[in-house]
Amino acid sequence: MPPILEVHDLVKKYGEFTAVKGISFDIQEGEIFSLLGPNGAGKTTTISMLSTLYEPTGGDAAIGGHSVIKDPMAVRNLIGVVPQELALYEDLTARENLVFWGQMYNLNGSRLKSRVDEILEQIGLADKAKDRVKTYSGGMKRRVNIGVGLLHKPRLLFMDEPTVGIDPQSRRAILDTVKDLNRQGMTVLYTTHYMEEAQELSDRVGIIDHGELIALGTQKELTRQVGETETLVLHIAENDDPKALARSLEGVEGVLEATTTDHEVAVITPEAEDVLAAVVGKANERGIKIRSIDIREPNLEAVFLHLTGRALRD
Amino acid sequence: MTKLFLIGLKDLKLAFRDRAALILMLLAPFLLTLGLGFVTGRFSGGSGGIGDIPVVIVNLDKDQLGDALVDLFNSDDLSGLVTVTEADDPEAARRSIDEDQAAAAVIVPAGFTQSVIPSAEQFTGTSVEAGPLQIEVYANPSRPTGAGIVKSIVDEFASRVEEGRLTSMTAITQLLMSGRLAPQDAGSAGQAMGERLAESPEAGLGIALSTNTASGETNDFDVLAYMAPGMALMFLMFTTSYGGRSLLAERSQGTLPRLLVSPTSTTQVMGGKVLGIFFTGAAQLFILIGASTLFFQLKWGDPLGVIALVLAAVFAATGWGMLITAIARTPAQVSNLGSAVMLIFGIMGGSFIQLEALPEAVQWFSKITPNAWGLDGFTTLALGNSLAQLGRPLLALTAMGAVLFTVAVIVFNRKGITQK
Amino acid sequence: MKKIFAIAWKDAIIRFASKAELLYFVILPVVFTFLLAGGTPSGDEDNRIRLLVSDQARSELSAQIIAQLSASTAVRPEVQPLDEAQAQFDERRASVLLVIPADFSLQSLQEGAASLDLRMQPNDLNGSIAQRAVQTAIRKVSSAVNAANQAVNEAEAARPFASDAERQAYFDRSLELATRLQTEAPERVAVVQGSTPDQVEYDPAANSFAGQLITWVFIPLFGISALFAYERNEGTLRRLLTTPTRRSTYLLGVIGGQVTVALAQMLILVGFGILVMKLNWGRDPAALAVILVAAALAAGAIGTTMGTFIKTEGQASGLSIMAGMVMALMGGCWYPLELFPQAVQSAVRVLPTTWAMQGMLDLVLRGGGLAEVLPEAGVLLGFAAVFFTVGVLRFRYE
Repeated sequence: MPPILEVHDLVKKYGEFTAVKGISFDIQEGEIFSLLGPNGAGKTTTISMLSTLYEPTGGDAAIGGHSVIKDPMAVRNLIGVVPQELALYEDLTARENLVFWGQMYNLNGSRLKSRVDEILEQIGLADKAKDRVKTYSGGMKRRVNIGVGLLHKPRLLFMDEPTVGIDPQSRRAILDTVKDLNRQGMTVLYTTHYMEEAQELSDRVGIIDHGELIALGTQKELTRQVGETETLVLHIAENDDPKALARSLEGVEGVLEATTTDHEVAVITPEAEDVLAAVVGKANERGIKIRSIDIREPNLEAVFLHLTGRALRD
Repeated sequence: MTKLFLIGLKDLKLAFRDRAALILMLLAPFLLTLGLGFVTGRFSGGSGGIGDIPVVIVNLDKDQLGDALVDLFNSDDLSGLVTVTEADDPEAARRSIDEDQAAAAVIVPAGFTQSVIPSAEQFTGTSVEAGPLQIEVYANPSRPTGAGIVKSIVDEFASRVEEGRLTSMTAITQLLMSGRLAPQDAGSAGQAMGERLAESPEAGLGIALSTNTASGETNDFDVLAYMAPGMALMFLMFTTSYGGRSLLAERSQGTLPRLLVSPTSTTQVMGGKVLGIFFTGAAQLFILIGASTLFFQLKWGDPLGVIALVLAAVFAATGWGMLITAIARTPAQVSNLGSAVMLIFGIMGGSFIQLEALPEAVQWFSKITPNAWGLDGFTTLALGNSLAQLGRPLLALTAMGAVLFTVAVIVFNRKGITQK
Repeated sequence: MKKIFAIAWKDAIIRFASKAELLYFVILPVVFTFLLAGGTPSGDEDNRIRLLVSDQARSELSAQIIAQLSASTAVRPEVQPLDEAQAQFDERRASVLLVIPADFSLQSLQEGAASLDLRMQPNDLNGSIAQRAVQTAIRKVSSAVNAANQAVNEAEAARPFASDAERQAYFDRSLELATRLQTEAPERVAVVQGSTPDQVEYDPAANSFAGQLITWVFIPLFGISALFAYERNEGTLRRLLTTPTRRSTYLLGVIGGQVTVALAQMLILVGFGILVMKLNWGRDPAALAVILVAAALAAGAIGTTMGTFIKTEGQASGLSIMAGMVMALMGGCWYPLELFPQAVQSAVRVLPTTWAMQGMLDLVLRGGGLAEVLPEAGVLLGFAAVFFTVGVLRFRYE
């Protein structure tokens, strides 16, 4: 079976600045694919090109065999989009919103009505359907926002950072919804800068940074890139120099790599417990105060750190 | 006190950084003033704004009076006012008016002169049989002013003709009645008298009409001196309600509570906001006054008076801005209400049409607008008066501002804006 | 097609979700038309300029002057005591004040010492009209006296009078004759208003009403640009453009909806004009509809193009109010175009408001019908097509 989404060397330039530098990947029908990367990595630009909002400067992508450049209308019939920010008419009721967007997806008559009812049921707002969206809580609005993207039963659903800036409860609900949808057979392209989300949801992950796809594969495949390593993260006092500590750790037995961020030093090692004592010793030697220590199992964060030398949430 | 000024200056800066606000604060009044300058002929040199009115004359009379009318229209006196085309076919002339080619057609019927100048027989009878012939002014309804001027020229001509006829007929008839003239000589005597009258310079009217314009000095009043402040004052109302909107916006953005939890008193914060509106309004008016002085060579009059009037007008307008803000609940409401009040005050305060043309009730209503008082003051100044003559408008504006502020503060307190 | 309706309907709900919209939809236009058109009363009312007259003389001659003024077509004399009249004048509530001094009489006239004092507001068109009217009245009153004087002179030249009494009697008879001749004098000038099949009188109210109608149709339709800014900021535009909906469908929906709303608004205003202002506008509804729809489409398309340039709602509403007012002013909606310099008159042909106003004037002043407004409607539709195309081409999310 051919992939539902094929991306070939997609490029987007704004004048001198290149936001997306030629990325390629595929998504198979039925999978959840995450694009993981920090803010400004090019995730939204990529999704905007795939959803025919921006025209690519170079390369192409095909959804269900239709080019996003040559046949945008066919593409739009196949995709559903859940934008990062709420995209609803707050002066309309939930039902009015759904009906309107359904019409935009060429639904009408009894099919429109039954789909709207189904969605209202699904997002748990059937009893509030006649209230204006502006009277809703943030979480309710998010649910309507997702519901709109599902109306026409798209074959591929784009979700662009749907959990940014919301409370943990709503976030949990959204993640569960995505999993539910996937169980029902929906293919999802999910972008996020939260490693945990990508880890929880995805079958495969693409890591994107500075407009480039720097890693691609299943979580297993990716973590294998950093080897069977663990990461020891030292949080140090504010007035101490993390770089000095990192330098002093080079050459310590069992330390593969030591990288720094503001007040953290990340030590990559095959076995964290083995180097712990040595690392703390080095710190004490230099008079550097350690506030706390985390040990992290191999994860996508570590992959990102390994590939870029930076933490995801910079 | 310094904090108050700091807050005020911050708001002034913000207002002038908002390009959307600048459109209505500066660009709109400037462009509208420019447009009004065109309408009133301020830039075309002519006074009254109208000139070169196209007229079509059809002289079917081809006699003494018809020719005289054609000469009158072609005379040097009228050369700047009208542009004359002579035609032979009255129907074609009327059609050209229907097609908006000219402001009016003047059609002198054949035999018009004969119908006016009394024949010898008419003197012998006592009754006057006037000819039914009339000069037709075929007016273009979409050019009421031009057509009106053409009509007044023709009217004037006709009344002179009538006067000549009146004079000769009275004199000759009386001469005949008193036996000073033999009936058979009436014709030639009338002819001779007519020629004498025509040659003598226009007989004095006997009643002198002295005209004075209100300034008492000159007739030389710049229309823009009315239009420019009218527009500036109208959009001043926008600025003050814009400022009020910023107050509510600060509340919803959370910067107002933040200001209030800083060691700054409520009075300072509110005073600073109001001062910001005041500064912005004053800056707006001074910029507009400066720009119109620079670009349109507009003379605003006594600088002290202008400054006093600007400050008083801005004070009153700020009062309105505060009241609108106090009544409204959201920033959007303030801007909607503000624009509406701006337009309504604009029209009722005389920014568009002079007050006297409006119904009595509206003239009364206009007293509550800063526009009417401000315009009153600016007109007074433009007429060459000084600060000393501004007592009434200054007093009215200041009182208006004070009352509005009091009401606004009461409403604010009741709604507890500062608490929320 | 269904989509276009859906978009239009949604826009209408959103627009009227805010009650303030009603202000712009009906209340302001009605207030403006009522004041501006009402400020220039229609034909059946007395639309002559109010001329304050303060008669200090109360003589026969002053009565004659006032009588002549009353007969004038231009002014409506209103006699008031001097202090009251002067107060009104000083407060600029009256454009002109005519003061008849106490010594104004037949006697002073004969002595050549009679004078009147006319006070005018500076640069007031009404003032110069009133001045002409007063001059005409003076001319009428004095011409009889002049004629009588002339008759006396002629008689004296032919054969001197025996006594002053005889001369005075001759003068009195001459004056009586001259006055009679004057009242019997025929009207020498006939004014015919340009062709209108049913002889519609020139009605300044109709003129300014048409202008206001155009103004208030253009301002909200330019406001379409704000609708785009709103959708952009709400993120719904972004979402819309990922649905299988063409840009042109979307734009047609928006314009169609707003134009429909504008038409409803015009219907209310025209109804107001016919019922309250007693304007004769129901004469050719088809022609009226054609010109109004064409004007609305042009304005809507321009608003669309504006929307592709504008970033925020604030900018959009400021710009649409400004553009609407400036275009209305320059297009002759507020003051007749004839007042503009020739070059400006030609230049403003690039504005849609100019054509809309010309079309309205063809209809309401020149008594034209469908055939007469077609050229203007055509130009307006041209504007609509051009700006709609520009809008579609420029309209994209990025």
